Formats: sequence, C-alpha cells, structure tokens
Amino acid sequence: MDATTVLAEITGSIATVGYGLAAIGPAIGVGIVVGKTIEGVARQPELAGRLQVLMWIGIAFTEALAFIGIATAFIFGF
Amino acid sequence: MTGTTPAKQPANNTPSSNPVLRRALTLGGFVALGIAVVGGIIGFVVDGGVGLLSALIGTGLAVIFMGVTAATILLANRFSGSDLFVGAFFGIVLGGWLLKFVVFLVVVIILKDQAWVNPVVLFLSLIAGVIGSLIVDVLVMMKSRMPYVSDVTLPNQSTDERPEQK
Repeated sequence: MDATTVLAEITGSIATVGYGLAAIGPAIGVGIVVGKTIEGVARQPELAGRLQVLMWIGIAFTEALAFIGIATAFIFGF
Repeated sequence: MTGTTPAKQPANNTPSSNPVLRRALTLGGFVALGIAVVGGIIGFVVDGGVGLLSALIGTGLAVIFMGVTAATILLANRFSGSDLFVGAFFGIVLGGWLLKFVVFLVVVIILKDQAWVNPVVLFLSLIAGVIGSLIVDVLVMMKSRMPYVSDVTLPNQSTDERPEQK
C-alpha cells in the first residue's frame, strides 16, 4: 500500500478540519483584543468603561468570523 | 447640600460602558425580531414550514450567541467594586465566550442531520442575524456618549443611563 492510498483512505468528517481552520483566526484576534484591553485597563483603570466597549466591538467582529466559519463547516461539510 | 459631606461619598466604580451595552442588547433584540420576520417569510416562501422554522432558528442562534458577549460584560461589571475585578471580568467574559462556542458547536452538529431543517435557509438567516447584530453594535457604539472616566454623570443624561450611585 503506497502513501497515496493511505492518505485517500483517511475517513471522517471534513467539517472538523473546517472547525479547526475557523477557530484559528478568531482565537488569535480575540487574544490580541483582550490582551491589549488588559494592558489598557492596567495602565488606566478609570478608562475601563470605554475600553470595554471597544473590546466588545472587537470581539463581536472576530467572533462573527468564527460563527460563519463553524456554521459553514458543519452545515455544508459532510 | 451644605458642603459638609460630599467628600465622604465613595467613588462610583461602575464602568461607564453599562448603558451602551444595555442599549445594544435591547436594540439588537428588536432588529433580530425584524430579521426573523423577514427571514421567516422568505423561508416560508422557499420551503414552507421547514424554511420558516430554519429561518427562525438561524436568526435566534445568531442573535443569542452574539448577545452573550455584551451580557457577560454586563454581568461581570457587577463585580466592579471588588479587588479581583480585572481577573473576574476577563474570567467571566472569556469563560462565557468559550462556553458559547461549545454550545454553538453542539447545536450546529445536532441541527445538521435533522429532517425538519433546511441548511441553506438556516445558514443564510444565521449570516443575516450576525451581520444585523454587528450593524446594531457599531451604530450604538458610534452614537453613544461616554464619559472618559467611570465616576461622572454627563449633563442632560437621562436617569436610566446614569451609572448606579452607591
């Protein structure tokens, strides 16, 4: 059995690969957004309210990508 | 006020983001209702009862899961007076985020093989809900008036927008 046949025989749902790909980007994005917010709040705690709103908008945009990516993978990837 | 007591009042630590997030959640609910109605009609025309149900589920999923972030921030802000506020805040917000995605994954996996769901209608209404929610969030943020610091009250600010006085 050569390598190509072995690769072709891998079975399972391709949606799980889609989930992995859809998770990478938003994970990095949310990590950066939250990390920078922590930095900002640590420097100026009285600005927490404004920074929270900006963080919330940042998270909303990055998680939108995750939602669409995961939904695409699991609804259409069989 | 005679000027004998003002300095004794403790600083109000409630973050000034609360009214913005609350307004975004309320408006997001109304917009979701609109998207659900329009999507439901389109779904019903395309695929009858199955399409209608799929559109309602898709819109509901999008709006509920997008709203969880704001809801967890509001919940976490209740601990604003605590010494552990920063840790508790990010623990609650990010923990809620993680939980939300696990639940979303499970829901999507369960819905995938159901006969009473039209995947295309579900997917399109989900996207419509997500984009509608983002638009509401951005509009609310752009129109909001926020003080730079958390312990002031803006002039002409309505009572329900004011941070709670302790």
